[in-house]
This record gives sequence, C-alpha cells and structure tokens, in this order.
Amino acid sequence: MSRRPPRGEYIETDTGNKVARKATLVGTQNIMLGGKTVIQPEVMIRGDLIRSIQSSSSSSSGGTPNNTAVAIGRYCFLSRASCLRPPGRLYKGAFTYMPLRMGDHVFVGPSSVIQAASIGNHVHIGANVVVGEFAIIKDYVRVLDETIVPPNMVIPSFSIVAGQPARVIGEVPEGGHEAFELRELYKTVGNNPQPALS
Amino acid sequence: MAPLNPYTYIQCPCSDSASLGRPSDATSPTSAEADDEDNTFDPRAPRANFSLYPLEYLLYCEDCHQIRCPRCIAEEIATYFCPSCLFEVPSSNLKSEGNRCTRSCFQCPICIGPLSVTSIETPPSDPNLLAPDRAATQHSTYSLICSYCNWSSTEIGIQFDKPNSIHAQLAKIRNGGASRLTAKERKERRKELSHRGGEAAVAAAAAAAAASETSGGQDMDLETQFANLKLFYNSQLADPNAGDNGFSSLGDLGFSSPSSLSRIMNLYTGGKLHDPRAKSKLGAMREAITADEGLLEPDLDESSLISQLHRSDFLDTASSTQVCSQPPNLGEPHLHGAARFNSSLRPAPYLLRTKRSKRCPVCRHIISKPEAKVQTTRFRIRLVAGSYIPSISIRRLNLPGSNGPGAPAILGDLLEPLKPVHFLLTFKNPIFESLKVTLGAPAKTPGRFPSKVTVLCPQFDIDANTDVWDEALKDNDRESSGRSRRRAGTESQFQVEVGKIWERGRNWVSIVVEVVPASLKLEQGQDLLKEDEDVLEIPMFVRIEWEVENGGDDATTGSGRDKDQKEKRELAYWCVLGLGRIKQG
Ligand SMILES: [Zn+2]
Ligand SMILES: [Zn+2]
Ligand SMILES: [Zn+2]
Ligand SMILES: [Zn+2]
Repeated sequence: MSRRPPRGEYIETDTGNKVARKATLVGTQNIMLGGKTVIQPEVMIRGDLIRSIQSSSSSSSGGTPNNTAVAIGRYCFLSRASCLRPPGRLYKGAFTYMPLRMGDHVFVGPSSVIQAASIGNHVHIGANVVVGEFAIIKDYVRVLDETIVPPNMVIPSFSIVAGQPARVIGEVPEGGHEAFELRELYKTVGNNPQPALS
Repeated sequence: MAPLNPYTYIQCPCSDSASLGRPSDATSPTSAEADDEDNTFDPRAPRANFSLYPLEYLLYCEDCHQIRCPRCIAEEIATYFCPSCLFEVPSSNLKSEGNRCTRSCFQCPICIGPLSVTSIETPPSDPNLLAPDRAATQHSTYSLICSYCNWSSTEIGIQFDKPNSIHAQLAKIRNGGASRLTAKERKERRKELSHRGGEAAVAAAAAAAAASETSGGQDMDLETQFANLKLFYNSQLADPNAGDNGFSSLGDLGFSSPSSLSRIMNLYTGGKLHDPRAKSKLGAMREAITADEGLLEPDLDESSLISQLHRSDFLDTASSTQVCSQPPNLGEPHLHGAARFNSSLRPAPYLLRTKRSKRCPVCRHIISKPEAKVQTTRFRIRLVAGSYIPSISIRRLNLPGSNGPGAPAILGDLLEPLKPVHFLLTFKNPIFESLKVTLGAPAKTPGRFPSKVTVLCPQFDIDANTDVWDEALKDNDRESSGRSRRRAGTESQFQVEVGKIWERGRNWVSIVVEVVPASLKLEQGQDLLKEDEDVLEIPMFVRIEWEVENGGDDATTGSGRDKDQKEKRELAYWCVLGLGRIKQG
C-alpha cells in the first residue's frame, strides 16, 4: 500500500484530501469529504445514489434538499478498489437510497464494499470485506479480512468481527485504541509521501 | 506456509508466582546479562502460552509499578447492554429476564445473522370477506427473516400478529405454532394447587395426576416439568413428617436426605448454598410419582423420528454450533426423543454484552474503567502498559556483507539456516522521562534447534517523550533532524558496530540484533518438526530504569521526603521477539 506512486497521481485539495486521479467518484456534488482523507486509485464512490424520497419537511418548505449521498469524516483511508455505495430500500412503497455516513479515522481495506448506513470513528475494515446494506458499525471496531457483515447488523464499539456472516470474535483491548489513528498513514501517501515511521 | 510478521509478546509477572505484586528485585544489569540457562525464559514452554501478550493487551498498575495482563486482572461488570439495539439492561432485570435481550433482537438459528421483522403479504384467502370487512383483510402477519441466509420463522411455523414485542409473542408460541405456557401462566396454575394447602395439595395432586397422567404427561415441556419437580421437592422439604428411614447415621450424606437435596436444588436455582433450616431435618423423602409432581415417563418409541431422519437430508439437521447458540430450554417439549432437526431450532435472542472495569489483583486499585453509558467510548481510567513501557518494533535489516548482495529483505521472507541475519529493534519511549534500557538475551535460543543470538548493543538510553503539542509543532522539522542519519545514505553505508546504537530519534532508539538461524535438518531418530517449531523466537529480558520527580501525591501524604529529590524506578520483564520462519530442508 505504501508503494511510492508516480508524481501527480493524487489530486490534493485545500482541506488536505488526497484523491487519486484514477478513482471514480460519481455524483461528486453529493459526496462530502471532511478533509485529510485518502482515496486510492480504482476506488468508487456512488454519490449519484441519492435519496429519491425527500423527507416531507425539506421538500415542502422549498429549501435546498439535502442530497448528501456519502459523507466521510477526517483522516479516512479508502484503499485501492474499495467501493462506497449508499444503501437502498423500500420506503412507503417506493424505493429510495439513504445516505452512507462515515466518521473519522476509518480505514477501508482493498476491494471492500461498504453499504452501511453508518460507520463510526476509529474503524478498521480489512480487505475483501462486504458490509451489507444499513449495517451500523460503531466506534473502535475492527473488521477482519474477508468478513461479510450482513445487512442491518449492528456492531457495537470495541468489537473485533470476522466470518461469513460476521460474528464478534473478540474485544479491542484497552491498549489497542491508538492503533486506529490514521494520521501517520495519511502522510505516507500522496504526491509527496513521507516514509512510514519505523 | 503463511508468512509471519515479526511480533513482540511480553510476559506478565503473574506467571511467576514469586514475583507477583512485588516490584522486580534490584538485580544488577550484569546479572541480567549473565542469566544462567536455568532462568532463561522459554517461549516454547507450554506454560508460556498463558503469560505472553502483545503490548496492547497489557495494563499497568501505577501503585504496584507492575504490568498486569487479562489473565490476572479482576473484572467488574459496569454495564450490561444488548449488542444489537445497544440498550442498557439494568442488572435487576438480569435476574428475572436472563442474559439475553428482550427487545426483539434475534439471531438467525441457522447462520447467526440478525433477524428482522417483515410483514407477510397474505392475499385474502376468503373472497367473501373482502368486501364487507376491509380491516380484516388488511390485517397481515409478520415473520422474522434473516438478512444473510433468508431463513424465515415461517419455516418453523412461527408467525406473529404484531410487528412489535416479538420477544413476548415468541415466548407464547412453540415451533409449529402451538401455544406454550409462559412462566407467569405456569405460576398461576401452580397457585391453584397451593391454594388447597400444603399437605393436602400433595395428596390431591397425586390423585388428580393419576387421572391426567395419560393426557398431561407427554406434552409437559421442560420448564413445566422443572417447575413441577421444584414444587414437589419443596413440599417434601417442608413436610415435617418425613420419616426416619434408618439411615440417619449417614447424616447429611443420605441420597434422599432433604439437606443434600436442597443443596442440589440450590445449585440449579441459584439460591444460597446451604439452607440452615434444612440442617435439622434428616430422613428420607419419596420421589415424584405423578406428572404434576414432575414425573415424566420416557417415550421410548422413536420410530417417527427415525423415519423423519430417513426422509431428511444432512442439512435438515442442526449442527452442534447451532444447537449451542440456542437459548436453553426454550419451548423444548421434553428431553425424551429430542431430535436435532432444524425445525426444532428457534430464533435466539442476542446475548447481552458488558462493559467492564478492571482491578489490579494485588492492590485492588482500578486500572481500567469505562464510562458506564453504552454509547460512549470514553474511559475514566485507562492505564495501559503502552504508556509506561517502551514498545519494540522489529524490522529486518539488509546488509550487503551479511545477507548476500542485493537481495532485498521482505518481511515474511523465510530465514536461511546458518546465514547471519540482522534485525533492527526500535524501542520507543512513551514516558516523559528518559529511559535507561538494558537487554539480556541467551546466546542460543531454547529448544531443539538453537539459533545464535547476539544483541549488539544491550545497553542504551532513550530520550524522553515530549508533549503531544510539541510533537505537532515540531512535526515538520522532525523529519530533518531525527531521520537525517539514516536517510542520508543507504543502509549499506552503515557498519554494524558492537556496543553502538544504530539510530536515535526524538524518543526512540534502534539497535541491531544479529541472529544465525539454526538448521532444521533432522537427524535420524529425531521427531518430526512440531507446529511452529520453525519459528525463530528470541527470549529477551528487558530492564528499564528511569527517575521520577518526588512530589505531587507523595508530598500531600506527608512522607517528609524532599520534593526535589528524584526517585529511581525500574521495571524488568521477559519478552519474546518472533522474527520469522526458518527455511526447511
Ligand atoms: Zn498477568
Ligand atoms: Zn436488543
Ligand atoms: Zn440466517
Ligand atoms: Zn496494583
């Protein structure tokens, strides 16, 4: 992952986001990035899948409808070929997508697909993981490689989950909280990457 | 073979009963180095498995100045909560409702995926009802559906009238749809019996049971049977006329004596271990003889089950994991002829989870305490070992002279037998005082295949950690100052020198360890390689010394010590460095 990319592979925004030129962001106006987030090549974010049914208050009052499809916090890291896709369901007889929300310091491993309703802060999702529609992952959760989190599953804080379907296999120990920090990892990618701390 | 990432495990002092609770003895650094073979910690010893932990699993007691591990700490439950709806369950509810969520959170009995309530679209079956009674036709039923494997509670014949309070509804339905007595109803039934008065009730029950035995006996479920038995034995215990059976010399040991019975019953019902009232009573009691007293005649005719097995496939039977994840006794008719068909499984309410505080086993001080609220992740107290003792990270070093020219060393590469390899150990100091570190490692690793180990710099100092804010401010020039030494040239330009540290940074120091991996060639008559015997593990004794300001807490206690005086502290422990696998053959 910390391969040195050729110069200019990333677009670096004012808020410190590093978005690979080879990432596919659909419906960028509906994708909110908190800043300092890394989006690696081949990542796909489906910002086009917006709510088709607006909550009654916003549509009647004539205010600008909230079209956020994907909201990402600070220091998130979306690895190569991962995909963020808002979940969808029938609501009062009609199909609609709902926003996908992600907190700070969320790592998404390569080739993982995320369709959660919400992912908290300090979450590590491994490689080839599928997070089903409307799943809720709370803070300080570690999802191991190849896990399939079923739709609607709730994963409480400090869980280590694995398996198909996912089950809680352990607890994040008290001394393991700092390992979720992604500040250092953020520095190791981009157009001027810094070497990882030994 | 799976590649092996280097690791560091630390031994908790609790595995050595002699050192428990006492700060390590003031052995001189030289004696640590000259540790004789007998005292060398063997990471391969079967006992070692129970005392080695990665740093993040260890806590630290500030009063004992000692490492504490998950094995020796004492836990106290702060909060019970459901892992699915995240609602807190008051501990008073636990006694009455058990350790599972009662708020309609269920797991699939087949795959443990979460179940959600879905309405079943039932087309109006009776066309005559359609026009006059619209309300009745709109009435739909609900089932629990697994979002992972698509299992539905209709497969076991369970449907619900309402989408809410599923737990209460499920408690009243048996698999297949038959209704089931709830605990409350059973109690009421029993009340009728007890109204007739203690002794008379027993006699009346016996008479009534004789009549109902054929009908009532066989559909008595486990819970009813247990309740009946409990009631029966309670009445026996209360019976003052229990006669002497001639075994009174055996005292409490008699098989049918009330005291041993009450002891056994207390085991199951969670009462106090010994009933003082029972002590005075001796003598025999009779056993249950009717269904109302809890007697259940076994139905030994299992031919229908056998024929069902003939008709079904392997996948129709429940696995032991599926059976184990079932809540106990729920709706089971009775144990006789209990089969393990999937159709007998039920949705399992989620087991509750807990938030726990942890205490030092020696001084009883709390060393970890989460906030009680379920939704917060903050801790009131969190004394993790990682903020007191240095972390050790391992990296393979590629030196042209030693490891063959050019070949880049990749983590997880197999180690060539008998060829010296160099590893870089980086010690990072988490505390705000400078640390003096002394390392000791046996020259040969323990086990059948001893590898040679040389710690090139066994003694060094690490500078103090600085404030987080200083770190943030200095973030940019740290790169230029701290790292210039290594980054200036390639690693090959450095010479591995005995007694010299490899590199030094703000609060870290890297040193080199030279290892000559053993050859794993088996001689004749030797046993085959055991699991992970090819992993090169070095036991290492780490001793750290630092000074702390006297003052603060000590000053207020009036110990009379000089405030400016610095107090020496030290901590010593074994750790194991897993470096990699040795190439076989
Ligand atoms: Zn311990
Ligand atoms: Zn619940
Ligand atoms: Zn299922
Ligand atoms: Zn203590």
